Amino acid sequence: MDNLFYAMAFIIFLTGFWIMLSHANLIKKIIGMNIMESAIFLFLVAIGYVKDGNAPIIAETNPGITYVNPLPSALILTGIVVSVSVTAFALGLVVRLYQHYGTVDVDEITRMRSEEL
Amino acid sequence: MIRAHIMPLTVLLPLVGAYFILLVGSKHRSLARNVALVTTGATFAMVCFITYLVSNQGTLFYHLGGWAPPLGIELQADPITAFLLLTFAGVSFFVILFAYDILPDEINSKVITRYYALYLVLLGALLGIVLSNDFFNMYVFLEISSIAAAALVAVNGDKLAMEASIKYLVMSTLGSGTVLMGIAGLYMVTGYLNLDYLAGALPQAYASYPLTVLMTLAMLTVGIAVKAALFPLHVWLPDAHGSAPTSSSAILSGLVVKVYIAVLLKLLYRVFPLDFLTTLPLQGSLLVMATLGIFIGSIMAIRQKDIKKMLAYSTVAQIGYVFLGIGLFSEKAMTGAILHVFNHAVMKSMLFLSVGLLIKYSGKRTIADLAGLGRVYPIPMIAFSVGALSMVGIPPLSGFISKWYLGLGALEANHLPFLLVLLLSSLLNGFYYMPIVIAGFFKKETVEIQTHKVPMGAQISLIVLIGATFFFGLFSNIVVDFLAPTVQGLFEVFGGGI
Repeated sequence: MDNLFYAMAFIIFLTGFWIMLSHANLIKKIIGMNIMESAIFLFLVAIGYVKDGNAPIIAETNPGITYVNPLPSALILTGIVVSVSVTAFALGLVVRLYQHYGTVDVDEITRMRSEEL
Repeated sequence: MIRAHIMPLTVLLPLVGAYFILLVGSKHRSLARNVALVTTGATFAMVCFITYLVSNQGTLFYHLGGWAPPLGIELQADPITAFLLLTFAGVSFFVILFAYDILPDEINSKVITRYYALYLVLLGALLGIVLSNDFFNMYVFLEISSIAAAALVAVNGDKLAMEASIKYLVMSTLGSGTVLMGIAGLYMVTGYLNLDYLAGALPQAYASYPLTVLMTLAMLTVGIAVKAALFPLHVWLPDAHGSAPTSSSAILSGLVVKVYIAVLLKLLYRVFPLDFLTTLPLQGSLLVMATLGIFIGSIMAIRQKDIKKMLAYSTVAQIGYVFLGIGLFSEKAMTGAILHVFNHAVMKSMLFLSVGLLIKYSGKRTIADLAGLGRVYPIPMIAFSVGALSMVGIPPLSGFISKWYLGLGALEANHLPFLLVLLLSSLLNGFYYMPIVIAGFFKKETVEIQTHKVPMGAQISLIVLIGATFFFGLFSNIVVDFLAPTVQGLFEVFGGGI
């Protein structure tokens, strides 16, 4: 049971990965991207978790207390910012592509492009 | 003060330049390109200073905020890093110089200030990746570089570039997601993110969790291979590099793909012990993929009609050479790989820039339409020819030197078939580059050509790049001597290689 979070993180990671590769719909690809990234964040949080650990605020009154590892959480904050900006940029591109082609389907776009040439 | 903080300042300078451009650029449009030129120039100067310090004092270390590792982030510059920094800063300076008068014609005037800002952000990210000695810090810079690079492709807002850009973005996010998962795994088994500490802790971690370590290595390698466009993960590259504006193509093909190779070098040679790597099927798969990449990239390049697509496929092949050098696990081949990173950066940016000029003046981008342009525009066509000959590997041009070292490496590592690969692929390169050169000078033009004056900045930058191709072909021993101790060190630490 200790490894439940790790296993789940990997399952979610692969789900996102699969969505990104298999769907032609660009919006779904971006959703897949976010699922994949959430899995990584879950994985990192799980690494930092210590059983019965407290929030890592060092208090002198209670020296024997165990703390969770704060570093992965700090990393995730950065990771989330990165992921949000990538998502925003990708969605912006999708909007512009939709204005040009009237569809968000990659296969459709490829077909229309090859007809144009 | 600058001397003590030179490394973080070098990364910061382009980023600050980018903010400055965005602040003032909307009001004073002509200021943007001057700021970009000055910033890249200053960055280049600072990188030269770093190289000078490294060659005098050996490896430089810097602890961000004064926090020593493993708690803080560490920057590190050894001779290999310094050489890569020189490559990145130098080439991007000459690309900006080239684009000084040309970019305003090519890019929509509404977005041109943003273009310069993105360019500088990308440069800062590239330098950050190379300098960083901390895996998570490297990841953040990796993401900055992938967003900036995808934006540089799409900046003009035309349909093809936009489509290529989203494909690029999706693939490189897949890659960096996989890399981050790998980094998380490494942190899980060792508790460190600093490269040197990781290297120290890995043998023990491998003893306790062999499967996890193997999986993280696989994820990191695959993730980096996607971003570096190793065959068969290169599918995004030809579209992205082929449809981007000239200066973007030059920097994307010349530099951005290379930076991931720098990460792979750090990963394979500094973090994972070499005797451990040789027990894995990693070497075999790297070599096979590299060889396939070299051949299939070249064959696809031969089949292209569009000149920029052809150059993009040629990049796929050239990346194969670099991976070949890394995969052979021998000193000479490593030297060859690092040299080729630099040589290809110079050659490919020169090719893309000269082709960009020719496309701009002739208005056509098919290979057949380049015929006869050499008589009207000698400097771009000479630059193209020098780049092409260097790609084929004609001595004394720099492309020959890197292939020579790769060949020596293949001998040293006792992988003789790869000599044949090198020879055959040079022939293939000749197949698609030489007809263009010959037609460029000796055939009759197929299109009506109006004569334009090639702007001064573009001429200077092309001439410098041509000069660099000759210089580093003739005096390659300077670089090799500079790199040799570090390369030897990489192999000595882990028991002298194979």
